[in-house]
Amino acid sequence: MAGGALPSPAIGAAKDEAPRRPVIEIEHLDAHYGARQILFDVNLDIFSGEIMVIMGGSGSGKSTLMRLAVGLERPSAGVVRLFGKDINRLKASEMLNLRRRMGVSFQGGALLSSLSVAENIKLPLRELTRLDERTMDIMARLKLEVTNLSGFGDLMPSELSGGMLKRAAVARAIVMDPSLLFFDEPSAGLDPVVASALDDLILRLRDAMDMTVVVVTHDIESAFKIADRITVLDKGRILAVDSAEAIRNSGSERIQNLLHRRAEQEAIEPAEYLRRLAGDA
Amino acid sequence: MLHSLEIIGRRAVRGMDEVGYAAAILAESLVWIVVGRRQRQPVRLPSVFVQMMEIGVEALPIATLLSATIGMMLAIQSLYSLGLFGAESYAYIGIALSVTREFSPLIIGILIAGRSGSALAARLSTMTINQEIDALRVIGINPVRFLVTPALLGTLVMVPCLTVWSNLVSVTAAGVYISGALDVSFHSFIIQVIDVLRVDDLMHGLGKSALFATLIAIIGVVNGSLVTGGAEGVGRATTRSVVHSISAIVVTDMVFAFLVTR
Repeated sequence: MAGGALPSPAIGAAKDEAPRRPVIEIEHLDAHYGARQILFDVNLDIFSGEIMVIMGGSGSGKSTLMRLAVGLERPSAGVVRLFGKDINRLKASEMLNLRRRMGVSFQGGALLSSLSVAENIKLPLRELTRLDERTMDIMARLKLEVTNLSGFGDLMPSELSGGMLKRAAVARAIVMDPSLLFFDEPSAGLDPVVASALDDLILRLRDAMDMTVVVVTHDIESAFKIADRITVLDKGRILAVDSAEAIRNSGSERIQNLLHRRAEQEAIEPAEYLRRLAGDA
Repeated sequence: MLHSLEIIGRRAVRGMDEVGYAAAILAESLVWIVVGRRQRQPVRLPSVFVQMMEIGVEALPIATLLSATIGMMLAIQSLYSLGLFGAESYAYIGIALSVTREFSPLIIGILIAGRSGSALAARLSTMTINQEIDALRVIGINPVRFLVTPALLGTLVMVPCLTVWSNLVSVTAAGVYISGALDVSFHSFIIQVIDVLRVDDLMHGLGKSALFATLIAIIGVVNGSLVTGGAEGVGRATTRSVVHSISAIVVTDMVFAFLVTR
């Protein structure tokens, strides 16, 4: 598959001798919203223990790619395999088992507003395991400590700041000790100091818990800080998959435009321009 | 002309889509009640009790006030209309039958549609927009089992209970007025009402209220989960839910009455 043509993960190669299996395999993926095509023949392998950052401008399809990878949407064509299993062909019970091995931290946190922070963190344990209340309390406190939220468990989500909300969402995402963790725009809406602290948390989680981490972001600084490899998406197509350093030094004009926040000038004929103004386009 | 037909066609297709979706949600909710425990994802009773408190117990004061008003109003109108041909002493028949068969289920249905159906739609639409539903799905928690089934069960239990309460309050209020207006004791009014009522009449009202409860819950869920467009969408979903619920209740009431009383 396309993974064979892609460069192998640099950090992964440095850490292990044996070649590692991809945790996520994406093959020839197309996605549509109604008649509009969002993703075009996307191929991507993400390996165990690496931090893969999926980067791109607004509307590049990176969030759609994440939603497909976690099974929230179905592709119009192509295959998504998690831990070697095609997630769109699994039975509900098999998918449930797979979900226990992964966690997702959404852009706005997505904590249930009717539950306290601690109850939010305990929710997966309460619904998917048969642990007693005391064990769940201990596990929730442990995750609150990992995410530097000790003492905030009794607060309601509406009482937390943006950075705390995101850390609480991470605490909930890791409460089942998953081996695969997804982040959707972790630094969006945060000031640089809080965003940097969240980046440190992602690195710490990967190192301490040996997780595979997929981060969808358009924050370039954050991407280069945490990424083992970066996938650059542009208008639904993969422009490049490579190490952070290789992406930084890429000769591609479109990648450099993205990295240096330069808007691409669209070449347009005068007649076409006039047609668009008239609303005929 | 062609454009208007296209709009009508699109709306008809969307309407049918929503009816199909509602049927699927209802079926899935019922399936979870049966298979949830076997699949180690039971419908949590505490969640059902929370819903019952919100839908039923917290609505008691307003339900009591409305029911008493309806009972009183029916007594006034009955005495006036029957008084035209000197039959005031038969007012208890009309009051007993119209309260239990028609007014109680209808007024409680409309009250719960405005109060709890709208709250359910607002809650689910906010959760959808804030990605809370997505979060439940990726955790592995089925949103229908976790959110919809408790709301449906809570409504299904509490709307008939409130209807029974409304029967009692309305008849009592009517009795208080009639015993004051005519030379009849409250006690003998109640005895006459009990004499005229059959189990069928009570079941007619309760059957309707169970139907209304299902409609309120499912319409709230459908409007809440199909929300689009941020905060404005939440407002639209809530309003739509109330309008659809009340319309569905009134139409179903007529169809039910037609089918059962012919």
